[in-house]
Amino acid sequence: MSAGVLVVGEFADGHLGGATLEAIGVARSLGGPVAGYVAGAGARSAAADFGRYGVATAYAVEDPQLDRAPAGARTPSLRAAAEAAGATVVLVAGSTLGRDLVGRLAIEWDAASATGVTELAWADGALRVRRPIFGGRATETRRLEGERRVVAIRPHAFPAPPEAATPGTVHELPSGAVAPALLAPERTGVAAAARGSGPGLTDASIVVSGGRGVRSPENFHLVEELAASLGAAVGASRAVTDAGWRPTSFQVGQTGRAVSPQLYIAVGISGAIQHIVGMISSRVIVAINSDASAPIFRVADYGIVGDLFQILPALTAEVRRVRGMPAA
Amino acid sequence: MEIVVCVKPVPDAETRLRASADGRTLDPEAVKFVLAGYDESAVEQALLLKEAVPGSKVHAVAYGPAPRTEEVLRSAIALGCDQATWVDAGGDATGDPIVAARALAGVVAGAPHDLVLCGKQAGDDESGTVAAALGALLGVPDFSCVVDLRWDPATSRFRFQRPVEAGLESWTAPTPIVVGLQQAWNDPRTAKLPAILKSRKATIARAAAAPPPRAYGTPERFELPPPRTGAKMIEYRTPQEAAEKLVRILREEAKVFP
Ligand SMILES: Cc1cc2nc3c(=O)[nH]c(=O)nc-3n(C[C@H](O)[C@H](O)[C@H](O)COP(=O)(O)OP(=O)(O)OC[C@H]3O[C@@H](n4cnc5c(N)ncnc54)[C@H](O)[C@@H]3O)c2cc1C
Ligand SMILES: Nc1ncnc2c1ncn2[C@@H]1O[C@H](COP(=O)(O)O)[C@@H](O)[C@H]1O
Repeated sequence: MSAGVLVVGEFADGHLGGATLEAIGVARSLGGPVAGYVAGAGARSAAADFGRYGVATAYAVEDPQLDRAPAGARTPSLRAAAEAAGATVVLVAGSTLGRDLVGRLAIEWDAASATGVTELAWADGALRVRRPIFGGRATETRRLEGERRVVAIRPHAFPAPPEAATPGTVHELPSGAVAPALLAPERTGVAAAARGSGPGLTDASIVVSGGRGVRSPENFHLVEELAASLGAAVGASRAVTDAGWRPTSFQVGQTGRAVSPQLYIAVGISGAIQHIVGMISSRVIVAINSDASAPIFRVADYGIVGDLFQILPALTAEVRRVRGMPAA
Repeated sequence: MEIVVCVKPVPDAETRLRASADGRTLDPEAVKFVLAGYDESAVEQALLLKEAVPGSKVHAVAYGPAPRTEEVLRSAIALGCDQATWVDAGGDATGDPIVAARALAGVVAGAPHDLVLCGKQAGDDESGTVAAALGALLGVPDFSCVVDLRWDPATSRFRFQRPVEAGLESWTAPTPIVVGLQQAWNDPRTAKLPAILKSRKATIARAAAAPPPRAYGTPERFELPPPRTGAKMIEYRTPQEAAEKLVRILREEAKVFP
């Protein structure tokens, strides 16, 4: 069975973001017609991007008010787009906005839902999804019942689709009947994430994190240089953010960000359970620690027992060498 | 301020997980269920706001089967919640967040609520769906990933922040709102022994959940990953050799190298 899929797009600097491209790839792999949806200031031009990835029909809600309202303000137009596209599946990225939309749309559109999905396929007319649970300690398979489903995919679990320039049509939609209660909250500011020049922590496909073993804020450049050589984002344990060596936006773990990159490198991090839950679903985990009995080695795939002050410079140099970058 | 905090009984992080006999779900036998993870932070946040805003009350609500759900509510009372309601899940074993949200909304809608606090995601299914679904069912704005939630008496609005992909958002909102909490101002407190003993005698109200209008998600399979056998350790004599070996493995074996 195949049925229409509507992909909820997110964009920055006028273009659809990486997580949205992953969702487009998934939508195309399901078979059946695919349409796109974007909302907020700049939606009209970002919607044109869908065509670049083989999605011929896109719905744009050019309404700057939506940028300053909670996610629920988008559901009236989202439902209208799903109806217009004949979609019975709405796919969103695993972002904060995406997660907020899932619960809201599941109720308002009477859909079955699943988040953090790493596999999905049609099975006897129902959508079957697979998702890691318990911080990656188990995996569940669920059947989503009924005629409508809303699914958030897990970041980095799917490849972005190849470009397939398709002449696309953009249809404009109004915001629709947004409940007044949803317009009472006010977003008063957005501070850009402290992310240096590398990718953001939750979007990165490689993350290098430093812990208390780095010993001082002055030494953190060793972690940052390894990250820079790999094109990775920099993370930290709570010991580091609590000590003020790096801002809390760097923190990985239960009370920080949950990350699931292709490669996670933990440097001078002991592996407390509160840190582990934030990185355990990474595909490959490397630990560098001077203590061979550190618990991080129980969850890592590869380990180096050693002094990070010796290992990191050598590793950065080796990465730069194989990537053809000039020696630092 | 009337604060409702939703808490879900979840397996203790130390528990060994095992599939049920039919292979569809977690085997709940021999599992210790606790108040944990983001829900602990949600309770902490509720208590901090109660302490900051005179005349506040905290009502803990949980949907689930006997006896674990009552036990988790007793822990919430031992921590300082004033009142607790157990929404009896009866035989519902779908573990579906929409079913849970509908059952919780049945109680929350009829109880005073200026603020409904949930965890950012439950420690077991990690769906992060219930707060937004509750918002829709109650007709109230909802926000996930909230940190630093304060009440500003001068403007009668909440002030809070959300770390999102683009950075850190600042918000204000009037009552009522639903929040999926990422972090309270403080680390969760632990209950004192006298309070734990007293909570054993506390009255827990019981509500029956209205049956869901239809089926949403049906669990088909619960799988455990092959046990992580621990890291493959890299043997080396010099740091350069360690670096070369690791880079080679990451490129050729793990294939994660750009
Ligand atoms: C409610 C709560 C929430 C929490 N949330 C989080 C969270 O979100 N994220 C988080 O990270 N933590 C969190 N924590 C804290 C967590 O329990 C740990 O305290 C913290 O993760 C420890 O950080 P660390 O591994 O950097 O430091 P440590 O545990 O001190 O480990 C330092 C490691 O560095 C190694 N080392 C030292 N010198 C060297 C060297 N020269 N070369 C190589 N290795 C070296 C040591 O062997 C050691 O293993 C939380 C705690 C609580 C109670
Ligand atoms: N069965 C439940 N009983 C009470 N609260 C729940 C229940 N399920 C989820 N919640 C609340 O909703 C939050 C998010 O859960 P979830 O959407 O399942 O990840 C949890 O942290 C709880 O605060």
